[in-house]
Amino acid sequence: MAELLQFVITGLSVGMVYSLIALGFVLVWKSSSVANLALGQIVLISSWFTYSMLAQAELPVYIAFPLVVLFAMFLGWVIERFALRPLIAQPILSLIAVTLGIGYFIEGVITFIWPWSVDALPRLFPREVIHIGPAVISQEYVWVIVICLVVFVLLTVFFRYHKMGIAMRATADDQMAVQACGIPVTRVFSTSWMFACCVAAIGGILISSIGGITHGLVETGLKAFSVVILGGLDSFAGAIIAGPIIGLAESLGGGYLTPYIWAGVKDIIPFVIIIIVMCIKPYGLFGEERIERI
Amino acid sequence: MSLPCGTRNYNYAEDMGIVRTKTHWVLLIAFLVILFTAPLYFGNYWLGVFNLIGITLIAAIGLNILVGYCGQLSIGHAGFIAVGAYTAAILTNRLEMPFLVGLIGAGVVSGLIGIIFGLPSVRVKGFYLAITTIAAQFIIIWVINHWSLTGGFVGIKVPYASIGGLVFRSESSQFYLIIIIAALCVFFAKNLARTKVGRAFIAIRDNDLAAEVMGVNLLYYKLLAFFIGCFFAGIAGALLAHWIGFLNAEQFSFTESILYVGMIIIGGLGTSIGPIFGVIFIRILQQLLTMELVPFLESTFTNFPAGFATGVTPMLFGLVIVLFLILEPRGLAHRWALFKSAYRLWPFSY
Repeated sequence: MAELLQFVITGLSVGMVYSLIALGFVLVWKSSSVANLALGQIVLISSWFTYSMLAQAELPVYIAFPLVVLFAMFLGWVIERFALRPLIAQPILSLIAVTLGIGYFIEGVITFIWPWSVDALPRLFPREVIHIGPAVISQEYVWVIVICLVVFVLLTVFFRYHKMGIAMRATADDQMAVQACGIPVTRVFSTSWMFACCVAAIGGILISSIGGITHGLVETGLKAFSVVILGGLDSFAGAIIAGPIIGLAESLGGGYLTPYIWAGVKDIIPFVIIIIVMCIKPYGLFGEERIERI
Repeated sequence: MSLPCGTRNYNYAEDMGIVRTKTHWVLLIAFLVILFTAPLYFGNYWLGVFNLIGITLIAAIGLNILVGYCGQLSIGHAGFIAVGAYTAAILTNRLEMPFLVGLIGAGVVSGLIGIIFGLPSVRVKGFYLAITTIAAQFIIIWVINHWSLTGGFVGIKVPYASIGGLVFRSESSQFYLIIIIAALCVFFAKNLARTKVGRAFIAIRDNDLAAEVMGVNLLYYKLLAFFIGCFFAGIAGALLAHWIGFLNAEQFSFTESILYVGMIIIGGLGTSIGPIFGVIFIRILQQLLTMELVPFLESTFTNFPAGFATGVTPMLFGLVIVLFLILEPRGLAHRWALFKSAYRLWPFSY
């Protein structure tokens, strides 16, 4: 029982982080239908940047965190402005390939600046463990869940009430109409990229505060795609709901299946889910099925 | 196809010919002669590079058929190469089968795995398919790392390739083996594009719904594309296994998959000459960077943390892929076509 509760809490919190990263993907996909495959690398580089701010420059958290957010926004802006803008209206293959290229480039930059490749973030959350019933859970997981929920609420409010948020929803709905209304679509694109990188960066900090900074974060970014696929590519709600499902599947499966199959089955579950979803319901739980005309 | 002045077609066979004029023949034969006498002028180091290029070329041709001709985006090619490599290793090392059985077996097994992971392509395309193939890559590598048959994290040894009593032990003998197979693959790919199958692939790439309406069997041709593409990957994997002699899942990472996509984009998608250019470009660049630039940087900037210069290679590769997509999306093959037409028309501009 205690075991189960522990798995559920860790699964939920990791799943929430997946949700955050997946939201970053959905944001960009909805506004500009670019599939951002560099998410994993963006997560990784923002974690390393946080590490530099906190451990190397030894800044206090309240200065470091805004700097990280600024950095992520800048990163998103640069990517959109210099790599994606020249490729507007290109076939999907080029758009996917260009994000792969960006990911490759970022990976090089990471090796260039932080070649030791494994490190731990300084403690962000209190160290004491919490007792929930019979289970013992380290506090980080609870904090992660809380922060994710706060970010979800902030994003929802932004999209509902802020002018830019409304413009972004409108662009997702109909690009031509939005342009005709005089909304600068290119600015919407770059804002969505800035937001996406920001959200991914927050997710990266949260997950690396639990597990440390390793190259595995790139894989975490890729695992977030299973959330996107399960929830539906163009659905915010889908991403938020599918994240915890994937997290739970990963943690419960990893917890209970490992004795029966080979070790490390945890890392593979999201990818298996991708294949299963593809075969059964390729447009996900909440995704809109595209009907094509010739 | 534009022909030199004075060359005309008198029958259909002539119209379909790949090698047309005397100059073509001379150039082709001269190229083949130079290629097959290469071990005379190059040392073992460069022969090793050529071997790697040949192996990569076979895999890239497969990917080009899948992505460039059929339009089915695959970002898990290194995974399929790994399947081929490990199949060959298991067949020749554990079961002690002859090399040729291992080679064909690697291709077939890899192709079948490709069909399994290609099944979603019947319903989805574009980004969905890209994600499926990424998932395939990770699942394959995970299985390899944990299955006792494959040697797991420890790796597996592979004996030298041998046909009959002939053992391909030295770099130069392996060079002949690899180059002959690579040449056959190039020939096959060049001809495939002109057959019914190739045209069906191109129709699917351009618009799969329209192709279906025209009577192209989507299920069959998409899976066939996956089979052919992964078959080539398997052959390349088998050759790689016998060439290196030792396998470890590290050699088939996700970044390697991205690099393969980069190669065919840099070369030019959907052209028969594209993969050749792309592979040579990337592999030579890689060789120069890792052998020349990285040690140079490491020894010059000693006050940086150790190992920083290894980041230069992925940085440059990423940059090259992005720049090619933005500035020359049709790749080096397009430049080559421009050069050829300029040469043909010289001294006039058109």
